[in-house]
Amino acid sequence: MRAFLLACLAIVVVGTAGYFFLNSMQKPTGVAYATDGARISPKWSWRSVFYRPKAAPTTKTAMNIPLPAGETAEECDVRTAWQWIFVDFGNPDGEAEVCSISQ
Amino acid sequence: MAALGIRIRLAVCATLLFVSVATLPPASAQQPSSVNPTADAVKEQQLLQQLNRIQGLGSIPDVKSYVIEQPQGREWRQFHEVWLHWIGAVAVLGMLAVLLIFYLTRGMLRIESGRSGINIVRFNAFERFVHWMTATCFIILALSGLNITFGKEILLPLIGPSAFSSWSLAAKYAHNFVSFPFTLGVILIFVMWIAGNIPNKVDVEWLKQGGGIVGNKHPAAYRFNAGQKMIYWIVVIGGAAVAITGYLLMFPFYGTTIAGMQLAQVVHGVVAVLFVAAMLAHIYIGTIGMEGAFEAMGAGTVDLNWAKEHHRLWLEEQNLGTGPSELQRRPSATPAE
Repeated sequence: MRAFLLACLAIVVVGTAGYFFLNSMQKPTGVAYATDGARISPKWSWRSVFYRPKAAPTTKTAMNIPLPAGETAEECDVRTAWQWIFVDFGNPDGEAEVCSISQ
Repeated sequence: MAALGIRIRLAVCATLLFVSVATLPPASAQQPSSVNPTADAVKEQQLLQQLNRIQGLGSIPDVKSYVIEQPQGREWRQFHEVWLHWIGAVAVLGMLAVLLIFYLTRGMLRIESGRSGINIVRFNAFERFVHWMTATCFIILALSGLNITFGKEILLPLIGPSAFSSWSLAAKYAHNFVSFPFTLGVILIFVMWIAGNIPNKVDVEWLKQGGGIVGNKHPAAYRFNAGQKMIYWIVVIGGAAVAITGYLLMFPFYGTTIAGMQLAQVVHGVVAVLFVAAMLAHIYIGTIGMEGAFEAMGAGTVDLNWAKEHHRLWLEEQNLGTGPSELQRRPSATPAE
């Protein structure tokens, strides 16, 4: 009985370790299969011409909590429809991760 | 009169034109036998028939996604929707039927000479720990795996889509996470018991005598008889096969193509259902099939008479090697005769 209980405990421990291992290795399907396809590369020269950093939001809402002093917001610029013509499928290096995932 | 002639000629021409158009072969018959896949009006079904696959061009880096349909894909779909169901049903239900018939005709195999009241250590604590870890994982993996194959047909109509969805989600997560301790258990079993599971001449004799299950003989055996050795190798080889293919499925396209993933799923599915069938036999003989067998993994000890009948050569080794220190007397429900 003691061997069985210890075995159950070991399953929980090793299984939990497996959970963290998989979480660190795998991505949700929506991310793993969707983001590789379409990324906006900031290196793309034409696009950079039209890139205008947005000013920090001034209104205070539940979704828009002001950041502590010294920290800058990680933002994505809003693309107009015609800017999507210049989509680059290259490496997203240099762009904030949140921008790559959301677009 | 001339006007009438013109009208008649016009009528004749119109009739001829109508007849010629009506008797022309259909446009489709004029198409070439080979299909130009880049043609605007090409139909998917036509592509599939002519080229045996539907494939296009894409602009995303994942080139696998350019193939929409391929022959292997259809064969694989046929496998996991039809053949695997049949293989699984025949293996699992067939084994259950055989065991039921065997139990009804033969009943529990008793210790012929009765219990001696003296117990001998058969498996130490670590061996039992590894056995139960692997066995518990296997039951979780088997139930959650069978749900993937049969749940939609059997469970879904019984519990409804909402409960089935929740159960299947939890079962799939459990299937993934429990695979790690299971793999660890298979590795430990392989290392721990390999020495006692190399086939030898004694096994041939054991098999010739039907292992004592057929007839009333008790063929000699060392620590593991030929039947247990078969179970051992099924666990090691089958466990390795399901573990490797399972991890290939868990990490899609890491070193595998679409065809590789499909092959991994085929091997995983077939080996898993056969594994379940084999383990049903193992569970049967270790519990209700044989008196005194469960104690070996339950308490770690077996009755001396049980050892004499089923593992005589092992008992002789034990007596020569360790002497009576491994023996322990305990109060027995069935007094020794």
